[in-house]
Amino acid sequence: MENNYYKRVWLRLIGVFSLLITVPVAILVLVTTNSLRDAAIEKVEISLGRLIEHKKDVITLYLKEKEDLLAMMVGMYPISYLGRQENLNTLFMAVNKTGSIVDLHVIDSSGKQLAYVGPYAQSLVGKSYHDAQWFQDVLIKGSHVSDVFLGFRKIPHFVVAVSDPLKTYVLRATINSEQFNKLLLSTQVGPHGDTFIVNRDGTLQTPSRAGLSELGNEDRLLLEHHEGTAIFQREEDVFVRGDDKVVDDSGGTSISTREESIVATRWVKDGQWCLFVKALIKDSLGPFHQVRNNIIMVIIATSVVFFAIAVLLINYFLKRIEGEDLRRTELGHQMVQMEKMATVGRLAAGIAHEINNPLQMITSQAEWIGELLPEEEPGKVKNLDEYLKAIAQIKQHVRRAGTITHRLLGFSRKISAEKENVRINELIEETISFVEKEAGYNNISIVRTYAEDLPGIMTDGPQLQQVFLNLINNAIDEVGQGGIIEIRTEVQDNKLIAEFADNGRGIKAENLKRIFDPFFTTKDPGKGTGLGLYISYDIVKKLGGTISVANRNSGGAVFSIVLPLTKPGSGR
Amino acid sequence: MREFNVLVVDDEQEFRDITIKRLEKRGLKVQGAESGEKALQILEHSYTDVVLLDVKMPGLDGIETLRRIRSMKPLVEVVLLTGHASVDSGIEGMKLGAFDYLMKPIELEPLLEKLADAFEKKRLHQDKIEQAQIKKNMSKPA
Repeated sequence: MENNYYKRVWLRLIGVFSLLITVPVAILVLVTTNSLRDAAIEKVEISLGRLIEHKKDVITLYLKEKEDLLAMMVGMYPISYLGRQENLNTLFMAVNKTGSIVDLHVIDSSGKQLAYVGPYAQSLVGKSYHDAQWFQDVLIKGSHVSDVFLGFRKIPHFVVAVSDPLKTYVLRATINSEQFNKLLLSTQVGPHGDTFIVNRDGTLQTPSRAGLSELGNEDRLLLEHHEGTAIFQREEDVFVRGDDKVVDDSGGTSISTREESIVATRWVKDGQWCLFVKALIKDSLGPFHQVRNNIIMVIIATSVVFFAIAVLLINYFLKRIEGEDLRRTELGHQMVQMEKMATVGRLAAGIAHEINNPLQMITSQAEWIGELLPEEEPGKVKNLDEYLKAIAQIKQHVRRAGTITHRLLGFSRKISAEKENVRINELIEETISFVEKEAGYNNISIVRTYAEDLPGIMTDGPQLQQVFLNLINNAIDEVGQGGIIEIRTEVQDNKLIAEFADNGRGIKAENLKRIFDPFFTTKDPGKGTGLGLYISYDIVKKLGGTISVANRNSGGAVFSIVLPLTKPGSGR
Repeated sequence: MREFNVLVVDDEQEFRDITIKRLEKRGLKVQGAESGEKALQILEHSYTDVVLLDVKMPGLDGIETLRRIRSMKPLVEVVLLTGHASVDSGIEGMKLGAFDYLMKPIELEPLLEKLADAFEKKRLHQDKIEQAQIKKNMSKPA
């Protein structure tokens, strides 16, 4: 079934196109979103790097500020002044407007406390710092900042100490690191991010926003391996040094991107503290997701549109191809039919040639007998009448056979197909007059609908009349008693149309194609030669027209003859 | 029925024989030729009024024979008779001056009629020539 074939082709084409569109689109979407994600993550990394740098600067500034404050005091007041308790009190009140300084200590170079302002006064009486590490450090380096510890009332503190340039005494202050913590916590790293500082041992110096009490294993690893400016990528649970990639110009920051989080680390306070800034990837990728979703929607929408266009095009072209194929098949059929007709025509003509000569002999000899018989004595020849009758029959049949062969060979009394000005309506009327009597006997009515002012055309009248006669005779034979034959003429699209219709049984579908074939007849043998329509077809074709047949909706068959409107040179 | 001379040209002997027989019974003087060449020979030496000529013959075909007859004996009328008919050869024959074109099978009566008509045409033509001749002679001084 041809329909199935085209359906299959259509399905295949649609399938291929679907693949052609969805596969690249899918790849495109994947690649784009991955690239976008990587770009977004890189952005986060960079911004984290900047953030941590900024924080480092802030922290460094803060600590420096405190150091400078103490250094200024040491520079301004000699030990004799500072060593006196009441002076230290005054100084303490002056510098502690913000309450960030918890206490002030003055200690001489041997480690003995000279003066103290602060809440620990009782517990520090008589204490000597001579052996304390930090004390040694101060005397050597000139300043010292300690780690954070939980001090008075469990408030986090750290200590800043400076010595005078002559190393004769040390001024020490305990700083309330809450303000310090606030600086850190103001970092914007998303709802699940974290910012904190740890010392070299990994002990938290500032509270972790995420509530960590100590450094996790991964972070500890980071701590140990952080050197210089390397970027670490997580690969199979082992931190591997990746490509050397400088995150920012100042160096010193390490960015580690894990599956779910990015961690930036930075040493501050001369490598004693490590600043950690953590951001959860999914928090930072909000805008990325927005963009990604937009892109995906656009890509999908576009592909849907293109797919729809493709489907429309496929449908259109497939229909065209189907039409072309059908036309070609039909043309093929027509060619075959024409070939058939031509072959049969040639065959028929060839046979006719051969038959005419024997026919002539039959009739000549029969006539001869007929001519000589009467010369016999009637008494002597018993069956004279019979002989004469038989001879008459022979001649009749030869005539009949001759008609067939002559018609086959296209012979008509008028040899030359002369073109003359013919008025079709009148020609048809004349033709009808030949059969009026016969039609009348059978109560057959012939209804004419002639177009008025039907122009005369240059054609072969007698041959055309032969065609009309053939059609009318066929109609009469078909309708029988009380039938109706309708004849119509009109001009349409610059062509002359003559239609001959009957209200008989119509023509069977399978015969419609063969009705113009030579020797095709539906009449009983002996009643029709099957040549009438074949010759009519031939005549009409030679006159430059077409003849066709169809079954009418109202019943019966209608033969349509279409002739070109070739006007006579000199109008009538 | 006037008596006139007919030459039957056809390669089929049986047809020639029966046709000659029958035409002679009707009082015509008839000769036969089996080919175009033979026909031309007879025409040269015998007096013929009408030629009954078959179109399709081996050797010199009918149309060529017709051409030569018309050039050799322009007054002789030729009636073409054939079983191998086509409209085209009929038209060609008429163009070349054949009197008419008949198809086999044909019965004797219509054939006779046609031959008689052809002869009539020849006779009238010949009469006219004679008349012209007489007039010409009369205008000359004796």
